[in-house]
Amino acid sequence: MSRLLVVDDEANIRLLYAEELKDEGYDVVTAASSAEAAEKLQNGTFDLAVLDIKLKNESGIDLLQKLVKERHEMPVILCSAFSCYKDDFSAWLADGYVVKSGDLAELKHEIARVLARKAQKAKGERI
Amino acid sequence: MNQKYCWNRDEIGQPDCPMVGVGDEELPVSKQQRRLEICGECPAFVNDLKQLNAENNPIAPLLTDLLNENRRQKTQIQSLVSFLDNKTLEMRFLHELGSVLQSSVDLDEVLSVALTAITAGKGFGMNRAFLLLCDRAAGILGGHLGIGPSNWDEASLVWGEIVQNDLNLQAMAQNFRQNKLSSERAKFHDLLEKLSVPIANKEHIFIKALDGGRPVMVHGAFQHPDVPLEMARLLGVDSFLLLPLISRNRRIGMIIADNCITNRAITEEDMHSIETFAFPVAFAIERASLYDKLQVELNRVTEAGKKLKEQQELIVRMENMALVGRITSSIAHSVRNPLMIIGGFARSMLKNSQASDPKRTFIESIIAETHQLEGVLDEILNYSDSLYPTRDFWDVNQLIEATLRDTADALTSLGYATGYSPGHDLPTVYIDYKQLSYCLRTLLQNDINSIGSDLSIAISSISVEGSVIIRIQDRSRHISQTELDHLLIPFSETRDLGVGLGLALCKTMLDKQGILFTAVANEHNGIHYSITLPTSKEEQP
Repeated sequence: MSRLLVVDDEANIRLLYAEELKDEGYDVVTAASSAEAAEKLQNGTFDLAVLDIKLKNESGIDLLQKLVKERHEMPVILCSAFSCYKDDFSAWLADGYVVKSGDLAELKHEIARVLARKAQKAKGERI
Repeated sequence: MNQKYCWNRDEIGQPDCPMVGVGDEELPVSKQQRRLEICGECPAFVNDLKQLNAENNPIAPLLTDLLNENRRQKTQIQSLVSFLDNKTLEMRFLHELGSVLQSSVDLDEVLSVALTAITAGKGFGMNRAFLLLCDRAAGILGGHLGIGPSNWDEASLVWGEIVQNDLNLQAMAQNFRQNKLSSERAKFHDLLEKLSVPIANKEHIFIKALDGGRPVMVHGAFQHPDVPLEMARLLGVDSFLLLPLISRNRRIGMIIADNCITNRAITEEDMHSIETFAFPVAFAIERASLYDKLQVELNRVTEAGKKLKEQQELIVRMENMALVGRITSSIAHSVRNPLMIIGGFARSMLKNSQASDPKRTFIESIIAETHQLEGVLDEILNYSDSLYPTRDFWDVNQLIEATLRDTADALTSLGYATGYSPGHDLPTVYIDYKQLSYCLRTLLQNDINSIGSDLSIAISSISVEGSVIIRIQDRSRHISQTELDHLLIPFSETRDLGVGLGLALCKTMLDKQGILFTAVANEHNGIHYSITLPTSKEEQP
């Protein structure tokens, strides 16, 4: 079972993601801030992180850069209310990008795609 | 004795004196005046004086001396009166000239007045005059304007006209400016070019006269050591006058005047007369030139002011747009998250509800409504993006092929067939790639209802006269032109938000980039879109 870390400052969004992604068979851990995410990351390993670009008083992009630097093996999917971040150079570090929507099909699809690629990469490295 | 000589009578009868003419009514009754004015020239008096001489009358030689002195003084007075008359005319002319020059700030008018004054019979009466102006930037004293007839025939014609019309200086100058200025410029164009002299050529007689600041009379031009032979040949006269135009120690230019037709000798008096008019002319030319420059500067300032105002308006508009951007950003966060949560949980509930649950319809309605609101939100955010086009040069074929790849899955799932005929050797186009990509995606996937049986979309690109045209023939969507035009107006009807709004956005985005966009609907054959893309920056608004 893949373990996911969901970081979003909205409690209801964290709850929605947790419920929906658990239904998809993932083990979901949520965090409301960068500090909480860092704490969760210290206490366990994760296969993938889903990250909101705009946290309360922080930038999700800064957290993304930190994660890529410190946990480069863990892919990150960015979620945002803006579609324009897709074209933002600073968001290119992420492995995937999803515009927030009540229909989580795209997010689920993106998580599955990124995890499959990670698995394939790991398999290739083992061979 | 007294009565013997008529010149010694107190009164005479008018018929008795052959010297009394019309208008001399006072002379017969005024002995003293008669003696001084007419008796000395009278044959009767001359005879009487001869007789007195013959008689050795001692008064006779004295009378002869007095008579000769009287004659001499009369001649001198006449000469002085004539001189005075001439000077009066000259003063009147200079006054008229000054008045005309002072009232004008138009360079052409000033030059016309100056050269007319030199050549007019009422003025200085020279046959021909050339005006040379100092061009400090180019470092030359360059020929600017000429006036005067080229030959006797032309001279007779022109001078005849002047006599016939009897115009004052201002009228003559106005007539010259309106009717002759262009033709005189053309007539003397080549000669004026050749008359130009570098200001640094201090040995040239023109520059010597200019530096000296005094008029120079040139006689024997063909043999003159300071006059280049070529210049003398060019003017074709042996004598000419150089009149430097100096204003406030600034060298303005030079007038060359001659009598090339009549060959009348130019006198010292001519030179002194013309000299008096040099300063007002120089001053008027300088003032008109400065006024011209001032006018140019004024136009520049006006233009700069206009541009500044435009820039200010642009800044205000940009501030407004930035405000729109901030508002939409705020909306994105304050609306997107709640919508997502409502829609997300509604989906979750729907997924976990029984098929027979009567509340499923309500949940489905929530999902549909939130989906539509999310669509509206996307359109508003895209509209906000459209306010800031970022243009660069892009390959049209790459743009279309990438768009077709992005939309392939969605279109195929709906049963659409797309075909693309790329133009060959297309130039790059100057566009906002992201916005054009959005527009093409929207045109291909727009949610206009009324789907026909032919689900095909044909796309082509072609280069036409500095532009690249993308044509999209969508045979599936059948609506009227009126309905289509309505869909091209953004936010025209709030109830339709999210339905066909993309088309209005496309038009807005393309309009903002100055890109021509046309959409022609046929209720039976579908919609034909045409997008004309610029290939250079100049075509942008």
